[in-house]
This record gives sequence, C-alpha cells and structure tokens, in this order.
Amino acid sequence: MPNDPSRRRFLKQGGIAALAGATSAQAFSLKNPGRDAQDPRYIGDAKAHYAMVIDLRQCVGCQACTAACKVENAVPKEQYRTFVSEFEIGTFPHVRKGYVPQLCNHCDNPSCVSVCPTGATFKRKDGIVVVDSEICWGCGYCLNACPYDKRYFNAQTKVADKCTFCAHRLQDGLLPSCVETCVGGARIFGDQNDPNSEVSKMLATFPTSVLKPHQGNAPQVFYISLDSRLEAVHEATPMLDDVVRKELGLLDKEWPKLPRGVS
Amino acid sequence: MMEWMSTIAAISPMRAWGIDVPNYFWFTGSSAAAFIISSFAHVFGFKQFKPIAGFSLLLAFVLLVAAPFNLIDDLKQPGRLVNFFLYGWENFGTSPMKWGVLLLIAYPVLILVEALILYRPYFIKRMEEGRGFSRTFYRWLTLGRASLDAQSLEKDHRLGFTLGAVGIPLALCVHGYTGYILGAVHANTLWHTPLMPVLFLASAMVSGTGLLLVLLPIFQRFFSLSQAIDRSMMATLAKLLAWFIVIDLVVRALWLSFAMPFGMQSRELLYQFFSLHFNMVVYVEYGLCLILPMIVGFSKLRHNLGIVIATGVISAVGVWLFRWNTVIGGQEIPRSMPGFTQYIPEIFGQNSIVSVASNWGIFIALLALVAVIFPWDEEMETHYQGVNNGSK
Repeated sequence: MPNDPSRRRFLKQGGIAALAGATSAQAFSLKNPGRDAQDPRYIGDAKAHYAMVIDLRQCVGCQACTAACKVENAVPKEQYRTFVSEFEIGTFPHVRKGYVPQLCNHCDNPSCVSVCPTGATFKRKDGIVVVDSEICWGCGYCLNACPYDKRYFNAQTKVADKCTFCAHRLQDGLLPSCVETCVGGARIFGDQNDPNSEVSKMLATFPTSVLKPHQGNAPQVFYISLDSRLEAVHEATPMLDDVVRKELGLLDKEWPKLPRGVS
Repeated sequence: MMEWMSTIAAISPMRAWGIDVPNYFWFTGSSAAAFIISSFAHVFGFKQFKPIAGFSLLLAFVLLVAAPFNLIDDLKQPGRLVNFFLYGWENFGTSPMKWGVLLLIAYPVLILVEALILYRPYFIKRMEEGRGFSRTFYRWLTLGRASLDAQSLEKDHRLGFTLGAVGIPLALCVHGYTGYILGAVHANTLWHTPLMPVLFLASAMVSGTGLLLVLLPIFQRFFSLSQAIDRSMMATLAKLLAWFIVIDLVVRALWLSFAMPFGMQSRELLYQFFSLHFNMVVYVEYGLCLILPMIVGFSKLRHNLGIVIATGVISAVGVWLFRWNTVIGGQEIPRSMPGFTQYIPEIFGQNSIVSVASNWGIFIALLALVAVIFPWDEEMETHYQGVNNGSK
C-alpha cells in the first residue's frame, strides 16, 4: 500500500501545490501582514535610527511630558507611556530631589520583541519598537520580558501598549510630544545616523549612561548625569516609601485589574 | 540600604500573569509525570507498574487536554487565538511560548494514539458486542484495525513501545518548555536560570505522582471491577514519590545555593523575596509539602493507606504552591519602582479563582468521559489476575 504509485503521485502533486500556495499567499508568510506589505507605518524611515537623550540637569520633574503623552496618545486613565519618577535624597537639612524620566528605551536588542509569539511587536527599520494592536493577542509575555516595565495592557484596546516615540508625529515631521512640551529642554530626540542632529551632537559631547546596561538590551534612551543611586532604587527595597502610590490607593489594586471605568 | 532616599512619586507597573498560569504549569507538569509513570511499564518494562500504566496514560491525556484552557483564559484577546498559528514564526527560536504550539498539539495526539493502540483489543470486543452507533463508534476507536491475531498484537506491542519511547522526550519537552518560558525572561531575577526547566520537571514528577496517589484509590475503590484498592501499589508509588522529592530537593538546592550567594544583581532581591515569603516557602512548601511526604515514602508509614492518600494531596498542593510562588512571586519583584507588587486573584471573571476552579471542573468531566469510553478497568483487572493472581 505505501508503495502504491498513484498514491505517491497524489502526495507528490499535493505537496507541491501546498508548497506553492503557502509561499505565494500573503496569509501564510507566518510573520506579520503589515510588515510583509511594506506598510510605511511598519517600516518607518529606513535611513534613520532614532534615539533620545535625557539631560537630567535640565529636568525639573514637572510631569509636562507625562501629561502631553497621555493627551497625544489617548493613554487610558491611570496608565502611562512615560512618567517622571521623583525621589528625595539625603536627610534634613541636606536634602535634594532626584528625577528619572522613563519611557520605552526602544532597545536595539529588545527582549519584548524576541519573545512575542504572534510577531505583533517588532522593531521598525528606524529603530522604533511598536505593537500591532490588530495582531496582539494579549498574552503578556512582552510585559514580563521588558526589564524596564515600560509596557502595559491598554485598558481600551486590551492589548499590549507602549511608547512609540510618537511615530505618527514623526511621519509628519514633528517631534514626539514629550520632547516638544519639555519646559527645560531635557528631552532631546533625533536621528543618530545624522551626525548633525542634536541628539548625535549631545551623544558626542557628553558622557551618557543607560538604565540597566547589564540586561544587554542596548537601550536607545540615553541619560546625561544619571545618578546611579537613583537607578538602584528601581531594584530596591520595600522600605522606600511611595507617597503618591499610597495617596492614590494604587497599592490596593495595582496588579490584577485593568483600571476601571475606561473600557 | 539607602534609608536616606525616599520615593515621592513612581508608577506601579502592570503585571501580566495571574492565577491561570501557575495552574496551567501544574497541569502540564502532572501530565508529563503521569505519562512517564505509564512509560515505566510500556517502555522500561517495570512489570509492577503494569496495572496502572493504562490509567496513568489516560490521566496524562486528560490533564494535557484540560491544561491549555488556562492559557486561553489568561489572554486579554482570546478571540485572536488564531494569530498565534498564523504569525510570529520569525520568533520561533527565541520565544519558548511559540514552541508550545507544536508541543501542545503533538503530545496529546501521541498519547491518544498510544492509548487507542493499548486498548484496541478491548475496543474490538466492544465493537463486536455493540450495535448501531456504539458499534460504529468503537470501530473508529480501533483505527480500522480489527484483527486480533498474533501478528496484529505483536504490532500493537511494537507501536506501543515506539510511541512510549518517543513520548518520553516529548513529555519532558511539554513541561520543559514551560520552564523555558520563565527561564528565558532575563528581566526577572527569580526566573532567569537555566535550571528552571529542570526545576519544573523535578517538581512535576512530585505533583503527578501525588495526583495518582489521590485518584488511583478513588478509581480502584469506586469504579474498578474488583472495587479493591491495590495497597502495595500505593506503597510503591509513595516510595517513588519520595525519590522524586529527593531529586526535586537536590535541584532546588542547586538553584538556591547558586543564585543566593553568587547571583550578581539578583542576590539582594532574592534575599528580600525569600524573607518576604519565608514562612510559606520554608515551612509550608519545603517542610510540610516535600520533607514530610518524603519521610512517609521512605518509612513504614507508606503502608498506611490514609496517610499515603493525604501525602499525595499535600505533595500535589505543595507543587502547586511552588508554581504559584515562582510565577506570581517572580512578578512581585520590583524592576522600575520601589517595593514589591502585590497580587490577590479576583474571585469571579477572567483569570480568577472561579476560572481555575472551572478548569478543574473541565478536568474532572473529561476524566469521567475518558474513563467511560476507555475500558481501563477491564485492562487493569487482567494485570491483577495475570501478574498478582488477584491478591491485593
């Protein structure tokens, strides 16, 4: 029976037909339809490599970036794509404040991308890491893989969401909204591939550091004058008080739920 | 520590995985263990496990069919399940979750085929006795091979051995990949160790054997033909459990004795993590749920049926707690804000206590269905009559 010539012929022809169908049909590319179709939103500016420099000497912790981002990207209540963590350092009378503005680092080696089982999150040619909200099935692997906690489930779309460097604005020749609104000019954004861009000049002029370099993600958000003690706080102890979280009652409902009243 | 530093404002990050995920890991692990115990007889030729090999195989199948419902429930967009199959294959090498597609399909199919071959003679008998739909149904289950001559039986035996032998690495992969899912996350201090798949496999053997110690007496006492519990089998399984616990403890000792003193950034956080959960981990997870069952298994207490059943329960529960402490505990560890996050599961709705209870409901319903369709009781009885001459 296994050597029946007609059966062999059928299998052979069927196999070839199936292979031809699989390679020609868009639906069977097994990647991401938008990327396969070379949709500009999925590819970005192939010549550029975007990066951000955050000059902490200029940051006053006003949270204007936080607000601008929420408005620009319609980020749901109690969710944030960017935020400025605020710390108090020292004891009276020698006290000062420390700020760490944080957003997606658009890593060159993004751990959120490599673990994504649906290919919904990927890195564009210009370095921006985005999520295809039509493909994402909300498994949350990327949320767990991000060493920076810069992903969340959007309460409205019910899929993974994050900063996009305002890719929709870049497409129109505008700056990301957090950069445009920053009162101290602490956020500088641009194309690293262009040596005349402000971001390239800043990177060439000042020593910079990135968050958690040991994770090997090669973040593309660089800090000037980052106090390493502030970064250490992010892997710190339960002893550190968090006034705002306590005040807002976030401690009671931080994990299991998407925020209420927005979906 | 930095007492001189305090936080004024930070945001609480969202964590992704809730109670469904530890439950899923527990189910796949127990399935792998049940399959391996069944293979003791089918592949390695340990005759003393013959009577429970069929039952154990069916249990492995049911556990694995019930397990993925947890994952679907954990999804924020369960309606997009098909995207998992259509897209994202470029990440196959780096996303252990992707491996699950192949494993979760191949493994239950393999167990099912092995079970159908194992029970084929019984299906033929039922087919011949049955009429109408029942006859057709059992003919399907024979996979179209209705002969019972020596050659066919020999072929069954050969196929059973081959499927069992292929199934062992597959069973190890099915649970090992869940360990990879966590182990691959380098952002998570508790998870990121190459020992994670081994840890999961070792503890899975404990939970699978524990579950057998609970289900076997129930099925033998109430649903088998002789309605008698095989006490010597229970004692053998209790001792097997004790050996699995030894392996589990060794792997855990390797893990912690490496991560705690020699870990780089992880060291401090792990100390805090285990201080926070000290009572649960040390007294409950290790003392009550591992050391105590190990003592029972290695002592004469293993001949006491009541104690052995209780041992099965607590060791299975203990492994569930280990899954919980690993999956949920790992996500409690801070990465971008000060302090550990907290998780209290919802009672109703998606990813809740009720959804996990419902999953157990699915498991029990499927187990009942499979136990009705497959003549495990007749098959079990033949081994007792043939091997032990009915002495129980």
